[in-house]
Amino acid sequence: MFRRFKPLWGKKPGLKSTYDAVIIGGGLHSLATAYYLAKEQGMSNVAILEKNFIGFGGAGRNTAIVRANQRTQENVPLYKEALDLWPILTKELDYNLMFNNCGNLNLMHSEAAMNAARMNVCTAQFHGVESHLLDPRQIKELEPAINISPDITYPIHGAMFHPPGGVIRHDAVVWGLAKGAAAHGVHIHQQTEATAIHTDGGKITGVETHRGRINSPRVLVSAGGYSAGIINKMMGVKLPISVLTIQAMVTQPLKPVLHHVVSSGMYHAYANQTLKGEIATGAHMDQWPNYTTLTTAHYIKHQAEALSEFLPFLRGVKFMRHWAGLADMTPDMAPIMDGNDPVEGFYMNCGWGYFGFKSCTAAGRHMASFIAKGECPERLKPFGLRRYENHRLMGETAALVTYTPDN
Amino acid sequence: MRLDRLPTLRINPSETCTLHYNGKTSAGVAGDTVATALYANGVRVFGRSLKYHRPRGLYSLDGECSNTCMAVDGIPNVRAENTPAKNGMHIDAQNVQGSADFDWMGFMDKLDWLMPAGFYYRTLHKPACLWPFALKQVRKVAGLGKISPDFKMKGRYAEIYPTADVCVIGGGAAGMSAALAAAEGGLRVILLEARPWLGGSFDYRVSPYDGEKALYQRARELAAQVEAAANIRVFKHAANVGLYNNNLVTAFQVGPEGGAFDERYIEIRAASVVVATGCIERPLLFENNERPGVMQVGCAHRLARTYGLLPGRRAVFSIGHDLGLEAAVDLCDLGMEIACVADIREDGQNPDLLLALAEREIPLLRGWVAAKAYGAKQVKKVTLRTLEGSVKRQLECDLLVASAGRTPLTGPLTLAQARLRFDAHTGYFLPADLPAKMHAAGSLTGRNHPLAIEASGRLAGLKAAADCGANTAEAVAAAAARLSQLPGPERGTKLVMAPVKGRKSFICFDEDTTVKNIKQAIDMGFDVPELIKRFTSAGTGPGQGGIPGHNLPLFAARYQALAGATPVPTTARVPLVPTLLATYAGAHHDMCKRTPLDELQKRDGGVFRRIGVWQRARYFSEDFSCREEVLNVRNNVGMLDGSTLGKFRLHGPDALKALQRVYVGNMVKLTPGKIKYSAMCNEDGCVIDDGVVVKIAENDYYFTTSTVRAGETAEWFRYHTRYDGWDYHIVNFTDALGVINVSGPNARKVLQKVADADLSNEAFPFGGYREFVIQGGIPVRAMRLGFVGELSYELHAPASYMVCLWQILAAAGKEFGIRNFGVEAQNVLRMEKCHIILGVESEQRTNLLDLGLGFLWDRHKTETKTVGTVALRQVEADPARLRLVGIEMDDPRRAPRDGSILVDKRIRGYVCTARRSFTLERSVGMALVEAEMAALGTRLEIYEDECNGQKLAARVVPMPFYDPQGNRMRM
Amino acid sequence: MALTITCPVCGKRNGYEFRYGGEDKGPRPVEEGMTPRSWCDYVHMNACVAGVQKEWWCHKNGCGAWFTIHRNTLTNLEVEGVEVTS
Repeated sequence: MFRRFKPLWGKKPGLKSTYDAVIIGGGLHSLATAYYLAKEQGMSNVAILEKNFIGFGGAGRNTAIVRANQRTQENVPLYKEALDLWPILTKELDYNLMFNNCGNLNLMHSEAAMNAARMNVCTAQFHGVESHLLDPRQIKELEPAINISPDITYPIHGAMFHPPGGVIRHDAVVWGLAKGAAAHGVHIHQQTEATAIHTDGGKITGVETHRGRINSPRVLVSAGGYSAGIINKMMGVKLPISVLTIQAMVTQPLKPVLHHVVSSGMYHAYANQTLKGEIATGAHMDQWPNYTTLTTAHYIKHQAEALSEFLPFLRGVKFMRHWAGLADMTPDMAPIMDGNDPVEGFYMNCGWGYFGFKSCTAAGRHMASFIAKGECPERLKPFGLRRYENHRLMGETAALVTYTPDN
Repeated sequence: MRLDRLPTLRINPSETCTLHYNGKTSAGVAGDTVATALYANGVRVFGRSLKYHRPRGLYSLDGECSNTCMAVDGIPNVRAENTPAKNGMHIDAQNVQGSADFDWMGFMDKLDWLMPAGFYYRTLHKPACLWPFALKQVRKVAGLGKISPDFKMKGRYAEIYPTADVCVIGGGAAGMSAALAAAEGGLRVILLEARPWLGGSFDYRVSPYDGEKALYQRARELAAQVEAAANIRVFKHAANVGLYNNNLVTAFQVGPEGGAFDERYIEIRAASVVVATGCIERPLLFENNERPGVMQVGCAHRLARTYGLLPGRRAVFSIGHDLGLEAAVDLCDLGMEIACVADIREDGQNPDLLLALAEREIPLLRGWVAAKAYGAKQVKKVTLRTLEGSVKRQLECDLLVASAGRTPLTGPLTLAQARLRFDAHTGYFLPADLPAKMHAAGSLTGRNHPLAIEASGRLAGLKAAADCGANTAEAVAAAAARLSQLPGPERGTKLVMAPVKGRKSFICFDEDTTVKNIKQAIDMGFDVPELIKRFTSAGTGPGQGGIPGHNLPLFAARYQALAGATPVPTTARVPLVPTLLATYAGAHHDMCKRTPLDELQKRDGGVFRRIGVWQRARYFSEDFSCREEVLNVRNNVGMLDGSTLGKFRLHGPDALKALQRVYVGNMVKLTPGKIKYSAMCNEDGCVIDDGVVVKIAENDYYFTTSTVRAGETAEWFRYHTRYDGWDYHIVNFTDALGVINVSGPNARKVLQKVADADLSNEAFPFGGYREFVIQGGIPVRAMRLGFVGELSYELHAPASYMVCLWQILAAAGKEFGIRNFGVEAQNVLRMEKCHIILGVESEQRTNLLDLGLGFLWDRHKTETKTVGTVALRQVEADPARLRLVGIEMDDPRRAPRDGSILVDKRIRGYVCTARRSFTLERSVGMALVEAEMAALGTRLEIYEDECNGQKLAARVVPMPFYDPQGNRMRM
Repeated sequence: MALTITCPVCGKRNGYEFRYGGEDKGPRPVEEGMTPRSWCDYVHMNACVAGVQKEWWCHKNGCGAWFTIHRNTLTNLEVEGVEVTS
């Protein structure tokens, strides 16, 4: 049954001189877009250009939480579609994405927070997505490790419970999509850096790489945290993005003890137990732009302090590995998916911040349709770049908690 | 039986302790680690491996792998090999069903063929219904330690933040030499050492340092000098865990038994850093290379020399470094039978050691290596082979000392962004370039000769001192010259693995990753070490990169030799040593702000809630509808602690310009004695704050902000005027002044009793500002406001007077029925009046016009470049926005819960605040709704959570609901 | 916590005492003739430089001053020796 150990995403392909579409970035959104371009849009002469190795960036650095309990009706259906795609993709790709449908518990620490969460819950229920508000007693029943005592900095008032959510093995998604895309004929070029995008008369004509020039009428930049810099450098278009370093860490592996994804906005932390038994936890971003993936002493200490309060058993557990990735944040905490404007054939899919993982399959699927047909699908229309100049920010953030340079 | 007379011992055999393990008590001695105590009691199997449940034993003594991870007093994954044994400890083996010796999951070892690299990804998902069941099993078998969800950590945890000129990491000979050199000129030096004592690799060795002294004697001599130096602060038993930009070094220290702390977090800022972490050993790859009874050279040697335990009776050595020969000779002298020493190296051994082996008639096989260990739970026999595999020999033994060579501990360097390069001569990854103000010294750099180790330490210490401005140029030159005359880095062994297929040759012990798994991963296209790590999990277990860190990249490069691959090191990550959350959290405790009236309100039964940094009284009874509190304000008089309100003085020649920049209103029109309500927007025109402004005098203003904005207001003013160079000062009075709000029809009667001023409506009308004195002693600033919709006085007074003022008002108000009201009652009262609270009646994207507050905006002051007005102008005509409206429920007894949504076929808005109003006997609220549905009388359908499609009916009604003419606040 | 920032008033301090205030985009433009797009450019759009950029910081847990520094976004380190006043 395991006799064959062939390259999962094919032998290294040669770089052709012409592709129907070129995708810059070898992360989840790129792989998903390429996969659906080839599988559903009949466009398989597609190249993915990855400077490092596939899944090097955010795809391999996130903590793989999936959910569809966002705040607005523009976002919830997109994330719901993504949530529904995991079992389908597991089958299509014949690759176990290890979806652990454990549910998400989002802790609330005040009456006001419960009211804000009610809007998310109502939005979810209205769209047929399961989501409920819980009181502390119900929380304790679901997750005995949570400290509902009033004697902590932010006592727990309740929670938003979202049973359909959970955790996926993020690397499996990268490799599964790469496997599927390659099987449909997509060329995945690792260690291949795009250095310029060529246009002529308002149209895309090709991409320059350090391995040579590629002709193509379509280019998608979906390079995670590097997108905004690439788009500014190669297309001269500035975006409303700040690239921040986001950090996460895991503890040593434990036998099952935490049964949901537990998160708290107030404590600025989330935690869940991976299938390997580690408690994966993170959330912090230093609020100034960086392309480094350096961790900070400040944060690992903060995380220990926060978890000590709402998951106190973790005081007896050891942190084992701390890492960082990039999050490209927009002012309204919603992504930018746009294209054909003003340069024909130029597309972008970025600004996903720290929620690009959970949406990658659905976003990739619609981007594939956008690229193949040249017309923006209904579902992506609210995510256009022009919303910022039209003062139509998305309502993903409830309130202005603090001001940032972006507002 | 201990070897209790060795001069190198770090135990005190006369002091004993008792441990509880596996239903028995085991006796240890002072200085033992948990593992050495158990080893002395005959324990050889310490736990079972993650996937295959293979027996695992003592392999090293520095915790590079999970072999001896055990549960100690309920704490999982404790490294028994370097955790001090304490009297009464309860120890449990991990990942066992039964006991470590008899684990019925041991059959898993036979099933390795079922579990090739990445097998999870390729199985268990077909058919789809299988996965949920498989998932549960996967969770159960995964994980090492067990912890209870209600586990409570005992002990004391502390934190310290020392600064230093030079921080030296590693207290071996190199580190001590560096510290001494750096300290010569009087600089402040910190020395970190992971073990409980200084000495490093000299500490247990009796080989000669020079003609007179043995290495261990030299180590103790250096340690004495270091400890005696007043300007060297030594942290022993302090493991370095992190190294960050600008030489921020973190560590955790284990406290002495009975000391002031169990563990403490140390965060050091140093001008310069010397890394002298030394080497660990590179595991030898052969079949069953992790069988109990297989251990590293240093482990076997230190068991004897440091802990007085002979690790076995008859040993076979398979080594690739002179340290192996040295250990064989020394252990032979201590009474162990050495059956044979197989040395990977064909030549290059230290001739003195060869002579010593010959004198003791220890057979030496050059160019030989262990190929396979036998024995179910402990090594009984070993096969040795020549390197190319042609000849083999079997030997019986109960100990196989195995080590391929040495590996420098470069973790701190890579964390500091030093680049590593593979050095073919030493076989090490050596730093190619070091960051500024960072130096490496000792065996980490490939040096092996004791004098060279010390000399390199001294050189690094002097260079570090130079980084701090010390004039050490001459000394540096002399130290460099001396080092150049000493032996350089020695040739290292090239061997990666014995001539076997590798099915049971473990490259990572923690994750049960074999050589075969690595080959499979590479065949599948995972061709760089970081990808191999992710796919096979190698190096991601409790020991992180300790065991596979060196072999993995070397093996991957060798396996891909045809593709021209060069060894690329894997990434080291913080924490270099797994560290308890309790330790990182240190002395953490909650910090919040309490108002001056906190105690009084508690006494009055206040139920407190945290709001931002503050604790505020939200309710004054268990009735959270606040009926009594609300009605008392409407009918009599109530008193609210508003001290959290942001309060500022703005003064200076350009104060007015600054106000004009951030407030949408026109502040030129301010006149003394009158208050002006206004708002601040951000650049998108969205409202970020509202409050009142008072002109105190020319160029001198007093204004209030919302509680949450108080901390950021000064920044906000300065940010938006940062290019202007204006001359003004902003002073935050938020903590200096307290606020009491006296509201209700009887408010004037209460206040008039105690105030020295005329409070009649004519003398102090609505919208007025006055300064007067209460009861002849308390100066107050009073504002007549109407947030709750009644006659109301907001009294601002120095925080120190607040308790007194509160008591005066409470006494004066007694006859008028005064009582406290809390934040929720205020919330209901102001909602009835349709006064907004930002963040409740607004979301991030809600602008001034959406809230119906356009009247606050003076559109004619364009020259002031008021923040937000450009966007307001641009968006004025946009019909597709959410607007704030008043709503009334069809059912007067049923208000929707806050946060419910307004729907038809899609979502059209949401309910901000709604309550069943006791005053009005109606259910009313405010909602943000799409503009086209904002017209008066529009029918709305409200979708609550858990409503099962049963919507509530409401309609848009005029605002405010209570006292629309505003007569009551103008009384 | 390894970032340090040099405050013109208080000197070199721990980076966590400061608040980031955005890329330096120059003084507020005049409102006359401002289009939605040009305004959006000023308010929201960033160059996202991978390298040294001039940026605003506020010493929020210190003197409260706003000032500019140069910082390398590839290393998260302040670059000293570049002129630091705007």
